[in-house]
Amino acid sequence: MGYIGIGMVEDFDEKPALPIWLIGLTAGSMIIALYLIFVWVSTERTMGLIQRIFYFHVPAAAVSFFAAFVGGIASILYLKTRDSRYDDLSLAANESILVFETINIVMGSLWAKRVWGIWWTWDARLTSSFLLLLIYVAYVLVRRSMEGEQRATLCAVICIFGMADIPMIYMSNRLFRTQHPAPVLGGDENSGLAPDMLLTLLAANVAMLMLWWCVIRVRRRVARLERAAEGLTRRTFEAADYQET
Amino acid sequence: MAENLSWLFYAYGIGWGLIFLYLFWISRREQTLRKQIAKLNSFLNERERRG
Repeated sequence: MGYIGIGMVEDFDEKPALPIWLIGLTAGSMIIALYLIFVWVSTERTMGLIQRIFYFHVPAAAVSFFAAFVGGIASILYLKTRDSRYDDLSLAANESILVFETINIVMGSLWAKRVWGIWWTWDARLTSSFLLLLIYVAYVLVRRSMEGEQRATLCAVICIFGMADIPMIYMSNRLFRTQHPAPVLGGDENSGLAPDMLLTLLAANVAMLMLWWCVIRVRRRVARLERAAEGLTRRTFEAADYQET
Repeated sequence: MAENLSWLFYAYGIGWGLIFLYLFWISRREQTLRKQIAKLNSFLNERERRG
């Protein structure tokens, strides 16, 4: 019984992807964040309730940025070491960017419609964020359509482009004053948040990061299963070829 | 205010919806892969038994 898939699947069954403490911490941090967002934090004077989108929109972007660095570094480490655990992490992190960046863009667009009266505009921040999404759409497409060394190399190159886009997004509304508001954190001397808003944003960031970690762990496990299935499929074809000859 | 509340509801609904959709997709993919691996394993074991 020396097949790669059998042992690996047994390993997965023994170790759950999400330990109970992680589920508890994530649920707890999410409940606290939702309480702060919808009950505790004061309502912003100019925009009113709609401003509360901020507490999901910004953490989704922050998690995407973090995932781009994790995925990119894991991709480069995989190229260097050929350790498949890095490849699994890279796939999980990079794929998660599609989800969290889409949330960021969709929520931002809904907020923009209420506040600016438009769904979208090609300003520096929005365009560079959209570019990030496109880069990772390309990553997923390449990942699914190629195999072997070529795939790893091309994916790592795409990840480097993705990582390079993050500072561009970060600096976009600092360097160019267009439609997107100026940064409320790390901006000029007029920037800043009320203490209750800052605390709520921090709690929402922690909760989103915990949720992302859960997603990554589950996706990494499926990535390992995908590898096992690929290995077994190859062996099955080899066995079939051997029988024919 | 009520209108803002409904927009807020849509925004958070879409956000959570996308996360749960992705988690649902991952869980379906895991089930499919497990079935596929079990099938391939039994095929290869059968061949090994027959020599």
